[in-house]
Amino acid sequence: MILHGDGTKPIYIQIAEWLETQILSESIKSDEKIYSQYQLADMFTINPATAAKGLNILANDSILYKKRGLGMFVASNAKTLIVSKRKSQTLKQLVADLVQEANRLDVGEEELIEMIKAESNRNKGEPE
Amino acid sequence: MYLTEVNTLQIIRKQYQFKLKAYVGAFTSLLVMQVTAILFSLGGTGGMSSSDGYLYISGTQYNGSIVIAFTMLWAFISSILITTKAYRNDDFTFVTNRFTSHVSNIYFLLAASIFGGITAMLSGYLLKLIAYLFYNYDAILVTEHAISSILVGATSTIFYILLFSALGYVIGVLVQLSKLFIILIPAFVIGNLFLQAGERVSPLVDFNKVVHFYISESSILLFMVKVSVTILVLFSLSIFITNRMEVK
Amino acid sequence: MSVIKCEKLTKSYGENKALHELSLTVEENKITGLIGRNGAGKTTLLKIIAGYLRKSSGNIEVFSEQPFNNLKVSSNMIFVDDQMNFPTALHLKELLYVAKDFYPNWDMDLAERLFDYFSFHPNERHHRLSKGMKSTFNMIVGLASRCPLTIFDEPTTGMDASVRKDFYRALLKDYIAFPRTIILSSHLLNEMEDILEDILLIRKGEKYLHMPISDVKAYAFGIRGESSAIKEWSSDKEILHQKQIGDGSSYIVVTNTSYKLAKSAKLEQFTISPVAAEDVCIYLTRNEKGDIDHVFNRG
Repeated sequence: MILHGDGTKPIYIQIAEWLETQILSESIKSDEKIYSQYQLADMFTINPATAAKGLNILANDSILYKKRGLGMFVASNAKTLIVSKRKSQTLKQLVADLVQEANRLDVGEEELIEMIKAESNRNKGEPE
Repeated sequence: MYLTEVNTLQIIRKQYQFKLKAYVGAFTSLLVMQVTAILFSLGGTGGMSSSDGYLYISGTQYNGSIVIAFTMLWAFISSILITTKAYRNDDFTFVTNRFTSHVSNIYFLLAASIFGGITAMLSGYLLKLIAYLFYNYDAILVTEHAISSILVGATSTIFYILLFSALGYVIGVLVQLSKLFIILIPAFVIGNLFLQAGERVSPLVDFNKVVHFYISESSILLFMVKVSVTILVLFSLSIFITNRMEVK
Repeated sequence: MSVIKCEKLTKSYGENKALHELSLTVEENKITGLIGRNGAGKTTLLKIIAGYLRKSSGNIEVFSEQPFNNLKVSSNMIFVDDQMNFPTALHLKELLYVAKDFYPNWDMDLAERLFDYFSFHPNERHHRLSKGMKSTFNMIVGLASRCPLTIFDEPTTGMDASVRKDFYRALLKDYIAFPRTIILSSHLLNEMEDILEDILLIRKGEKYLHMPISDVKAYAFGIRGESSAIKEWSSDKEILHQKQIGDGSSYIVVTNTSYKLAKSAKLEQFTISPVAAEDVCIYLTRNEKGDIDHVFNRG
């Protein structure tokens, strides 16, 4: 992953989101040790304190847990937590933006739903 | 990260070793100066001739006096040079403060003066050797061949060179303090010489007396004490006046 | 533990105050970015910290000591800038050995690896190097010396883009392995902000901002919308920056606090965007005479 340096999103949030994606794709499984702040700092050329901030977001959401002296580990229910968090936050925001843009363009509810369905089918048709 | 404990003596030693390497140019210029002086001396540094009608005697003197004079000049100029900003900033690139910078400079000048003094003495003998090998003299007289007199000669040469070095250093430091000294010091020296030449007004400092104070001293030990004290005063003065000065 | 502590630090040159009652604390083992416009007093501050310049008034302590002419500070600190002097008589390789002699933590292996990586020739001399190569060599000395306090004043002067990138990466990697207090000064925040922990912004010799870099990113918000609506909404708020956009709309930047205060108000009509740290710094240190557009507004 390449971090976006344009300032649209703080680096530590980008780190947290990247880690979430890693957990979702099971690159790092439950109860496995996650990258340390220093590994992350080295991987993305960022300050270790910034990396720690990203890890702490996930720790606060109970996606990660700390083992004293050993570092941070992925919680057993991490995937469920991430999915529900993304549904309630990220997806909700995307939908809100979508509806706002549709209103601006005078796209009706029906038409919008059709578009969503079409997009969804297209993705199914050509799996990545 | 652990902090390094400070050891002033150790820093002075490191700075001194650094300067021996970094100021190698000073030794090159010494070599150039001494070779030039030897060339000037080839015609003889002094001479005499006499005749009573039947017998004609002519003698030519070969000694290191011109070389020594050139070496003094070199010590004076080199000392001024190492007080300049470019040299000073080199020290401050690495670990130092004012004091260690000065003391290591002084050590360096001490080493350079000893080296310059010994080579100047040796070049006096080199001249005699050249005269012996390449000129057709009927007789060669070598004076001062006792070890003790050679040692006395070498010591006093080194002390004179050091004296000029210390003088150059303090002048260099004064100029660093204020560029006005570039004008003030020569004005003082030349003005004083004029006053001394004219007989009506007494000069501010009687240079003759100053010179006399050192050269008329017949005891080598007393001479060494006189010069050492002077050098000590000059160097201390240099350290004192620049200690609060900013660098870079 | 704090490595640097200033209280009302002032440095004046005659009437002119290069630093004015600057108070700040730099904590141990952090990378701090010192940001400010040209002439804001960055170099003066760094040289006082390094012990090269004397304070005029106030107080400063580095490693709990007065830094001016202090051997302990000099032994534990390295100051790297593009004016760094090296004796002309010595080759580059010899200079590395001199540095090794002076700095007890010196890592010769790292120095030589970097030396080879950047294709320096052992027999080259520092004063004959190009500007960018000089900066690169100075950077090697700065990194390999591993001083508890490492100061880089505009370290990337003359370096090309790829060397700059290498420099920041090398600095970060060595910092991760050997944490130490590092101060980086630059007026280009963008290229180094990712490796910083804190940012210290000074303006006209005074401290303006000192906070974690992540907070700077949330320091201000950009708001865009129809001009009159923007004007009404922002009438009681501190505006850091404003710009008219051709279509009758405006873009303004307000601080985090005024944004939060106004959150209840109708913001839906506006487009809200974060502001990059570099832009925040530019707005905060802007000229009182307005921006460059003002010069051309002869209307």
